[in-house]
Amino acid sequence: MIRRAVLVVLGLVWLYPTYLLLVNAARPAASYDPATAWAPSGDFALFANFAAALDKADLGASLASTALYSVVSPLLGVVIGAMAGYTIVVLRLRHGFWWFLLIFGGTVFPSQMLLVPLFVGYSDAGLYDTRAGMLLVYTAVNVPLAAFVLRNFYSGVAFSIFEAARMDGASTFRIFWRVYLPISTSALAAVFILEFTFIWNDLLFGLTLTTTESVRPVMTALAGLMTDVYAGTPVPVGLAAGLMCSLPTVLLFLATQRLFARGLSLGSV
Amino acid sequence: MTTRSPILGRFRYGYVAPAALLVAGLLYAPFVWTAYLSLTRYDGLAPPEWAGLANFGKLFDDPALLTSLRNTLLWVVGTMVLPVGLGLLVAVLSHDIKGGAWYRVPFMLPYALSGAGLALVWSPILSHGGIANVLLGVDTAFLQSAPVNTLAMLLVWTWQQLGVNTLLFVVGLQSIPKEPIEAARLDGASGWRLFRHITWPLMRPLTAVVVGLALVASLKTFDIVWVLTQGGPGRNSETLAVTMYKETFVASDYGYGSAVAVMLTVVTGLASYLYLKRQVAS
Repeated sequence: MIRRAVLVVLGLVWLYPTYLLLVNAARPAASYDPATAWAPSGDFALFANFAAALDKADLGASLASTALYSVVSPLLGVVIGAMAGYTIVVLRLRHGFWWFLLIFGGTVFPSQMLLVPLFVGYSDAGLYDTRAGMLLVYTAVNVPLAAFVLRNFYSGVAFSIFEAARMDGASTFRIFWRVYLPISTSALAAVFILEFTFIWNDLLFGLTLTTTESVRPVMTALAGLMTDVYAGTPVPVGLAAGLMCSLPTVLLFLATQRLFARGLSLGSV
Repeated sequence: MTTRSPILGRFRYGYVAPAALLVAGLLYAPFVWTAYLSLTRYDGLAPPEWAGLANFGKLFDDPALLTSLRNTLLWVVGTMVLPVGLGLLVAVLSHDIKGGAWYRVPFMLPYALSGAGLALVWSPILSHGGIANVLLGVDTAFLQSAPVNTLAMLLVWTWQQLGVNTLLFVVGLQSIPKEPIEAARLDGASGWRLFRHITWPLMRPLTAVVVGLALVASLKTFDIVWVLTQGGPGRNSETLAVTMYKETFVASDYGYGSAVAVMLTVVTGLASYLYLKRQVAS
């Protein structure tokens, strides 16, 4: 009984901020006042606040760019990583393990070690503040995990599949594209979801490598909004913006929960 | 092994090249370059000038860096106690009671918010004269003085992270074998003793993973601090990651910023190494 009581009390403590957030995100923008923030407002203005956030903070352009980054980069990343895994495991690349270590080792560096050279290098190469530049860096950070998971996955696939396809005269690339990629869909999807979430939530690369609103990823744009929550953007609009920009990752997660769990367990074979 | 048989094709390096080039060009090369820059004076405009260990010497008598180290430590310890420790508690309390999943729903909801979004929605609550001041009837400026501001942000972080840690622990608790626990129960063990001597050792491997991930993530705390306080007021809530960013891109001291990045890397690497070593040893 004590256990349930502790859980309920703690749960209520957790729910209260959630409640405050929802109530105030749905409040008409002009009627926010900290003193009455605990009470729900009679008028439901959540969607008006969403629209205001899109409009006022120019979040629309940021959202479009972020959607591009977080779909295209993981797609490229998983295919490139899978190709590396395929070459190392199935085509038995010489010194394959060292190639694998080289690629996977890319995950150990904290992003802070990359920022200065990327900033300076991007400025010199004309990639600073461009969508192409963002796609490039996001793709690169995706590759190690994809290579890791897919290498593991392909180690568990019988070599006879490859041999049979080869006997039938298929090229190594065709076998990769038509046989190995399709059988690893669940592992690919699991990596894709993780990377989508990572990129969608990225603040640091966006902060360092972009400046225009239409190139800036959405979390960076949100962080910029922050400085004027009080000097311009009404609190309900700020809250609605925070909710709205978090929504895609939640929806993706809910929609793919089962696939995600399956993919992870397959990846660890 | 038929490493060289024609069946394997001749284009193998072509397949591994895109991955290797991306990783080498955008991860390894910048890493090495930053390590080099940490030994130079560099403002991003004039070419870097060799400075030996000067930046690292400066690290050790920079009061702002000391504050930053202290805050980072607070984040690490706080993360272990709150999101991880409390997560374990909620998991243990709820994993074997009827309807346990329902009790966990309130903790999962905040996970919907992420990064900058999380910080953004807490700002009207924590700001001076904000909702928390009204509700608690106190006039404390939660984001102003240290270490209150770091603790306040830790609570926000706990609010968001508790659910996912709980979930990981529940999965672990549900996958440990039932027999030893039943046997201990028959021998009369219950409550704390049962947990301490039977359940806890059985869930060690999983705990090691959760704690390890939280350790590395907390050492690199950036987003929430950047959005809520930008490391301020003054520099009193900076973490190492925030200090690195500010020294580099606000103060344009690229050499010194790189030295902070190197330090962050060394601290993270060392902590992970010591932690792994301990896990393997025991």
